[in-house]
Amino acid sequence: MSGIAGERRERTKIFPTLVLLAGAAYCLTPVAWVFVAASKAPGELFNSFTFAPGTGLLDNLARLFSHDDGAYGLWALNSLLYAGVGGALSTLVSASAGYALAKFDFRGGRIFFATIIAGLLIPGITLAVPQYLLLSDLQLAGTQWSVLLPSIVSPFGIYLCRVYAAATIPAEMLEAARIDGAGEWRIFRAVVLPLMVPGMVTVFLLQFVGIWNNFLLPYIMLSDTRTFPLTVGLNSLLERGSGAPSLYSLAIVGAALAIVPLTALVLFLQRFWRLDLIAGGVKG
Amino acid sequence: MPNPVAAEPATPPATEGVPSPRRRRRRALAPYLFSAPAMLLYLLFTVIPIGYALVTSFFAQRRVGGGPLGTRSTVFVWFDNYAGVLDDPRLIGGLGRLALYGIIAVPFTLGLALLFALLLDTPGVKLRRFGRTAIFLPYAVPGVVAALMWGFMYLAGTSPFSHVTRSLGWGDIPFLEPGGIYPSLANISIWGGTGFNMLIIYTALRGIPPQLIEAARLDGAGEVQIALRIKVPMVGPALILTSIFGLLGALQLYGEPLMLKPLTNTISTTWAPLMAIYQDAFVLDNLHDAAAASIVLAVGTALVSTAVLATVRIAMKRRLR
Amino acid sequence: MRTGKSRKLLAAAVVTAVTTLLVPACSAGGPTAQDGGKVTLRYWAWAPGSAEEVKEFNRTHPDIKVVHTDAGGGDQSSAKLLAAHRAGNAPDLALVENPSLPRMIVAGAVADITDRVAEVKKEYAPGSWAQTTFNGRTYALPQDVGPMALLYRKDVFDKYGVEAPLTWDDYREAAAAIKKRDPDLTMASLSTDNWDWFAAVAAQAGDDWWSIDGDRWTVGIDGENSRKVMEFFQGMYEDGLVATDPILTPTYNQKLNDGTMLSWPSAVWAPGVVHGVAPKTAGKWALAPLPRWDEDDPTVSFQGGSSVAVTAGSEHPEEAAEFAKWLNASDKGAKMILNVQNAYPAALSGQKAAIAQKPPALMPQQSDYYETVAGIARDTRPVTWGPNTDVAASAFTDALNDAIRNGTSWADVLTVTEKAVVADLKKQEFEVDEG
Repeated sequence: MSGIAGERRERTKIFPTLVLLAGAAYCLTPVAWVFVAASKAPGELFNSFTFAPGTGLLDNLARLFSHDDGAYGLWALNSLLYAGVGGALSTLVSASAGYALAKFDFRGGRIFFATIIAGLLIPGITLAVPQYLLLSDLQLAGTQWSVLLPSIVSPFGIYLCRVYAAATIPAEMLEAARIDGAGEWRIFRAVVLPLMVPGMVTVFLLQFVGIWNNFLLPYIMLSDTRTFPLTVGLNSLLERGSGAPSLYSLAIVGAALAIVPLTALVLFLQRFWRLDLIAGGVKG
Repeated sequence: MPNPVAAEPATPPATEGVPSPRRRRRRALAPYLFSAPAMLLYLLFTVIPIGYALVTSFFAQRRVGGGPLGTRSTVFVWFDNYAGVLDDPRLIGGLGRLALYGIIAVPFTLGLALLFALLLDTPGVKLRRFGRTAIFLPYAVPGVVAALMWGFMYLAGTSPFSHVTRSLGWGDIPFLEPGGIYPSLANISIWGGTGFNMLIIYTALRGIPPQLIEAARLDGAGEVQIALRIKVPMVGPALILTSIFGLLGALQLYGEPLMLKPLTNTISTTWAPLMAIYQDAFVLDNLHDAAAASIVLAVGTALVSTAVLATVRIAMKRRLR
Repeated sequence: MRTGKSRKLLAAAVVTAVTTLLVPACSAGGPTAQDGGKVTLRYWAWAPGSAEEVKEFNRTHPDIKVVHTDAGGGDQSSAKLLAAHRAGNAPDLALVENPSLPRMIVAGAVADITDRVAEVKKEYAPGSWAQTTFNGRTYALPQDVGPMALLYRKDVFDKYGVEAPLTWDDYREAAAAIKKRDPDLTMASLSTDNWDWFAAVAAQAGDDWWSIDGDRWTVGIDGENSRKVMEFFQGMYEDGLVATDPILTPTYNQKLNDGTMLSWPSAVWAPGVVHGVAPKTAGKWALAPLPRWDEDDPTVSFQGGSSVAVTAGSEHPEEAAEFAKWLNASDKGAKMILNVQNAYPAALSGQKAAIAQKPPALMPQQSDYYETVAGIARDTRPVTWGPNTDVAASAFTDALNDAIRNGTSWADVLTVTEKAVVADLKKQEFEVDEG
């Protein structure tokens, strides 16, 4: 926080502050709206001024959680499962591959890294349809595996881990451990992983949010509402809104509620981010 | 339960300093083992699907057998599907709409991200922590949820903006009409993407040596000059990275138009290229055309990204001279 | 660096990972197996009340256990079924929208159940039965049908001294008369994505968009009567008498609530939908037969309607057919479709039972409601849907939106649609004639 040290003595710059506040207002308005709208009973939603709070919040919540035998709760759990497990596994897989690519000179390593970089340029979404074809041949489409497994692969995660490992793991330390007679696996667990934790937290968060917010992959893979994550579940509420329009207010309450945990997580973990990883120069 | 960090076996090393041939062999094997899970998954969920799609794209379903409905079988059709895809007005039109959307979304996202990052880095600006948190907040909102919220805020009946303009006697704002749909869609991704990009750029700004900026200040340079002359060129790599991400994000446009579609006639069933691919694959039961279109789109994306990267690299080299 | 803290964080992440991994392991794969001599069937249906119907079936049929899943309705339902069929995890039975059924047959997703259900054919009117039978083979049992009708705001019509219109010309005059008195009122919105509505109204005028003769398909989308239908509604739109905005959006619902949307030409399922959106307007609506093209011809067509199909991959087709028969053709099942699902049953016994019912909650004052409905259902004209209705759907909707935007002819939308449909059929190597 050294950059802000001299701030006190600075004269307040009014115009730039106002611009920043305008940006904040722009970003907060829809969030405020969705919380206000969540408090409206179905009849009020389309009949009262949009920023006037309603009277149906508790009622809406009760209806949301009882809808379709508590489907919403299941969706939230599914989101947590896909993002939590997928993110964690993805982080571990990326860390070990990133370490191998950064610290070993091995045949095929360069080619592998080049393919990973190419993978960065292919939008994940264009892969969704072929992935679906493949997984349906493996009889996996429609199961939770079909969302979980493809989420583990993250070229960006591997790339970041490689950058981080290259910058933070001193070669001498590895050599010393080897001379001490430690096996490669033990070196990885006891020396490398602890050093890489800050970078891994960043990769985990990126992956967690990425999977949590993903829509197309689960939308394509899943057909049973009980396996849906929140994004697909909310879409199904909205899509069925035209047949049973009272679902609109459910979709809004569901959306408001879906924002809360992830926002809390991201804001809380902001301090653990090593965004310098992405921004360029990594200093160990 | 295996815990890779906490579990540290206390057993002493079995051999002394000089590595045995067996150990050396193991060390040669180690990088392969470490990258095996990633390689395997990458092969399984990226390389093989691409190959699979490639094969699928050369086949087609044709009807065989009698009866008014009959059943279908798969036949090899060479490049028929590709010819069909490249000739398909839905896909061509979709690419055009995508380009229009991208031209608005990408520069605005990056421009705003840079602006806010510079403001956060400017002494004398108040409420910086609040501003940073508020602008970053949309990152935690899934794209489809963002589209849902904005959708209701665009819709004349529930829009607070149109409510205001209506009471001023100006009528509704045509958010969802043909003229307004591009800015409206772009706005959703600008809203969602600015914060993350801002943080990346801000992090890069914090990495600039303070002496450099102090020196400029002593020379009498204003904050705007410092920002344009020193800070922006110094965060070049971060800007390149964020623009590539922005571009890739724009090419993946799917959930937002899908969510807005029920609200307006302006968005057709095949408005974005990915919507056309989804329709082929899952609604029209035509996986083969969908595979061909996916391949075309993936190759196109890779070409565009590579082109952007190359241009940037050339421009940077020129500047260095 | 605060390694201690980070370590704990990572450890926590790993614990979460391992424990939650157990969850998908338990739920992956569907319960199609037999448990204890009992056959378990999976049934996908989006209709409200389906779960209750299944519960009743399970209570009365100890040998079969049906598990109901709501896999999403509307456009999604058939795409999801097709995807599941391809992935090999389709349910044993699925509710299918009638326009999508031919496509499911062509894709091989649904089973031929002609022999298993032949005994219940007599429970249906021939027009309803024809919706699921092609060339003498039956692929599904009709669940509910949607004979077309006009839902209108009787209070507003009364206020302006306008009667329920007998013909479409009357409808247009009624719209003009009311519009003249109060320009804020909208007679109806003919949403451009309701292509099947236009198809059904064209069928009412005498044009079949698809028909089969032997092995040949005839496509008649661009027919003379259909063109007249499109020209008629374009005229109404250009005179400001109807809107073309999507229906059942929040904006539309608001208009239903505040009483500025005066009618909904649709089908007999409409009262339930409107009651769901605008419950406070109950008592102000009435249902009338759909306006006619020819004042001497009361025939209407169907809009919507769904059927229950046994999937091709089901391991228990016999039991699945038994459930389908109980649900759709038995007295008990048909009554539940009527009362629990609030739909108009396809089976005759359900339609008969309806006459004794109280009118729906939207129009408690209309005591002759179900007699009116029975009268409508008597003169219906079955629709034959083709194997590529979705091609028609997107071509029609996109072209009509363009036509409205550019002010060009709505009738030419049919030319574009027919071209797309015929090209697609030919590509799939069907034998096609253009009508």
